[in-house]
Amino acid sequence: MTLARARLICLAVFVLALLAVPYVLPAFGATFWVNIVAEILIWSLLAASVNLLLGFTGLLSFGQALYFGFGMYGVALSINNWDVGFLPALVIGIAAASAMAFVTGIFAVRLTWHYFAIITVVFSLIFYFAAMSTKWLTGGDDGLSFSPPPVIEIGDFSLTLADTTAQYYVILVIVAVAFALKALVVNSPLGLNFKAVRENDRRAALIGINVFRTRLAAFVIAGALAGTSGALFAFFGRYASASYMFYHVSGEAIVWAVVGGSGALLGPLFGTGALIVFRELASNFWENYLLAVGAITILVVMFAPRGIAGAWNDMLLALTARGGRSATTAIATAEPAGDAPDHAPTRSNADG
Amino acid sequence: MADLALRLSGVTKRFGGLVAVDDVTIDFPGGQLNAIIGPNGAGKTTLFNLITGETPADAGRIEFAGKDIARLKPHEIVRRGVSRTLQIKSVFGGLTVVDNIRAAVLTHRRIMAPFRLVSSFASVSARTDELIEEVGLTGHHQTLASALSYGDVALLEMALALAAEPKLLLLDEPICGMGPQETERAVAMIKRIAKRVDVILIEHDMEVVFDIADFIMVMAQGGILATGTATEIASNLDVQEAYLGSPEDELAC
Amino acid sequence: MNEFVLALAINGLVWGLIIALIALGLSIIFGLLDVINMAHGDFFMLGTVGGLVIAVSTGSFWLALLIVPLIGLLLGAAIEWLVIRPTVRQASLTIVTTFGLSMIIQEMVRATYGPQPRRMSAPIEGTIPLFGIDYDLYRIAAAIFSALCLAAFFLFLNRTKIGTWIRAVRHDPETATALGIPVTQITAFTFALGTAMALLGGVIAAPITTVEFRTGIDVLPFCFMAVIIGGLGNLQGTVAAAIMLAVLEGLVTSFVDPTTARIASLAFMSAVLLLRPHGLFSGATR
Repeated sequence: MTLARARLICLAVFVLALLAVPYVLPAFGATFWVNIVAEILIWSLLAASVNLLLGFTGLLSFGQALYFGFGMYGVALSINNWDVGFLPALVIGIAAASAMAFVTGIFAVRLTWHYFAIITVVFSLIFYFAAMSTKWLTGGDDGLSFSPPPVIEIGDFSLTLADTTAQYYVILVIVAVAFALKALVVNSPLGLNFKAVRENDRRAALIGINVFRTRLAAFVIAGALAGTSGALFAFFGRYASASYMFYHVSGEAIVWAVVGGSGALLGPLFGTGALIVFRELASNFWENYLLAVGAITILVVMFAPRGIAGAWNDMLLALTARGGRSATTAIATAEPAGDAPDHAPTRSNADG
Repeated sequence: MADLALRLSGVTKRFGGLVAVDDVTIDFPGGQLNAIIGPNGAGKTTLFNLITGETPADAGRIEFAGKDIARLKPHEIVRRGVSRTLQIKSVFGGLTVVDNIRAAVLTHRRIMAPFRLVSSFASVSARTDELIEEVGLTGHHQTLASALSYGDVALLEMALALAAEPKLLLLDEPICGMGPQETERAVAMIKRIAKRVDVILIEHDMEVVFDIADFIMVMAQGGILATGTATEIASNLDVQEAYLGSPEDELAC
Repeated sequence: MNEFVLALAINGLVWGLIIALIALGLSIIFGLLDVINMAHGDFFMLGTVGGLVIAVSTGSFWLALLIVPLIGLLLGAAIEWLVIRPTVRQASLTIVTTFGLSMIIQEMVRATYGPQPRRMSAPIEGTIPLFGIDYDLYRIAAAIFSALCLAAFFLFLNRTKIGTWIRAVRHDPETATALGIPVTQITAFTFALGTAMALLGGVIAAPITTVEFRTGIDVLPFCFMAVIIGGLGNLQGTVAAAIMLAVLEGLVTSFVDPTTARIASLAFMSAVLLLRPHGLFSGATR
């Protein structure tokens, strides 16, 4: 079978597994884990925002927690102060995060390399401190609680987040849509521009690409992804807290993105999933499991810089490879921080 | 192709105390293959950088198609019809040959379409295939640019430059580092392209320059030393002296 | 001048000198290895913890003052060899590696030293009258000692062979190799030195701060501010910026709450990054 088909099958299995979670896990007596998977899905969007910037556009942002925070507070504040419904609150959260990404991006994207990373931290710190000190608005460290409105209300029927299963599916659908949109963008002409700028920004300008606008577009889309994550997080936890805007949260998202595979589309899901599952399992019998997380981070960068997704792709490639030697060598020599090719190389379609 | 490929008036660039490009004023005729030659450090590549907007000029006008492009950004200049290749061949290493060229074609056609797949643009794919044929990279569609041989990278870079459908093509040492066979191929391609696009090339290989160039400008120490046809330049004493100062191997790129 | 404000200003000066030491360590690492060391604040924290632990167990703070920087040198060399060198080729990911390192260091301290913040008593008791107020003698001593260390650092960098080699490698690694300078060893030494300086700052600061596993988190942004505002590659600028920022923050805190003061500093740092990325002072080499 071809690599493309193998990947499609894996994707289908993966999606089916996610769909089955609320029914399968409780059968094993692990109802608690349904919420964990929901949490993984939510946080994976934050990792996806890092992944879009780092893996696809070549920008390392250490401040995505800022847009997460805007998404989170967008939801909490609009529900508390204006009593809006579920969908409007979600939209407000995402819009607030995107707008913030646009405004900060105009400045941040002018810088490159380490200076970009530094200024993203600085911006996120400024707003973290601002959020902490305006307790009357944000609840500071203690945070702001709210009761989430029903998701859909048609006549007598209402779908609320109070039901674990319903909540899980709502989150799954939104996250799936977000990833689907990200996949579209990444494989679109705009996405190709992102990759060109990542590979060689001088060459990109010399073929007519407005590098500043391209990077800004990536930054705003990443902000929207982070904002969606924050908005969902607010709904999930029924609360918002300034402590989630601290740079440590941004750092964790980077770790998830890198461990999962920074150049791969679903890398963030794998990384977030692996590390949160690890956290849940390890923290039960080892209080200092963070030591392992730190070690894993370092080891992944040292030995497997293309992360879980990269290793997975390599395995699939090895299993499905037939002929087409130049393509194989070409993929094998691809830069680690670049992406695993997101379209299968042509090879002889020997059999199905 | 215009009567006038490019007009420079008093173009100057200083780096601290060093004058890299010194009050250069020249008209590059259209419809011809123009060359810029000169010893190392003469300011040739800096001049190119000024024309493409990658380095801001301190003074002077750079007129292309009737407009002064001296203060424009590089991508704006490309969009007006000036393309360039670099001395150290520069492409998108982590992307396949097809994606490299597609990026250039899509940009030229101003297609951003964030929610449509790249593969859905049939005319872009067709144009990409055309360009791959033209530069001679047939069969390498799915090869990663970083896996190409040096000569093939140069061809790819040429395809990228051509994708923008330029009216003026700047080639910075296009045959640098090539063996005799690759050189022949490259020179033939340049001659072919020069029939429909204005070309200015920087080159060190005198044989090639005297063979293909209609108009030659000699630079030395940031300024123009001489201009003329190949025969005129070959017999110019000042030019010979400028080159006598530099040993043979320093002329290699 | 109001006594309260004066005391805050002098506090700022004391802290500024200590931070200058730490920030210099960060700057030489950033400047030479091109590594953003997210664990640098935690190195400072290790210095405070080491200082307290050794002082308490041996009864001598002076012993701690001697031993801790040496530990810093060894630790830095080990980390450079084990963690930094293998990942330096993925230049954009060194920030991730050092973040992982930061996690490890914080957790190790939390596991051994414990999560409880502790304070230690000053090794020099008493006050001294200064500009009309009674000021902590230890703080004055700390300031003087830090200033001496700073002077020693610059002497080392400018007058010794190794110091010259460090400056050469920072300026132009290729030429340095051509000149026969052992670039790999100098790189390792620079990281070790930067680490040692952070730990030294930590042990000096131990008696005047709370000692706990999270102190590094606050110190790191401050160090970066000093490095950026002072100008990357401009070591004297970093010192000046550290002192200036600390004194300003100290003064501003007298009429505004610390958080707002911090926000103002960060906003100022953003402005510098965007408008004058080479820092406020001329003399930056990058």
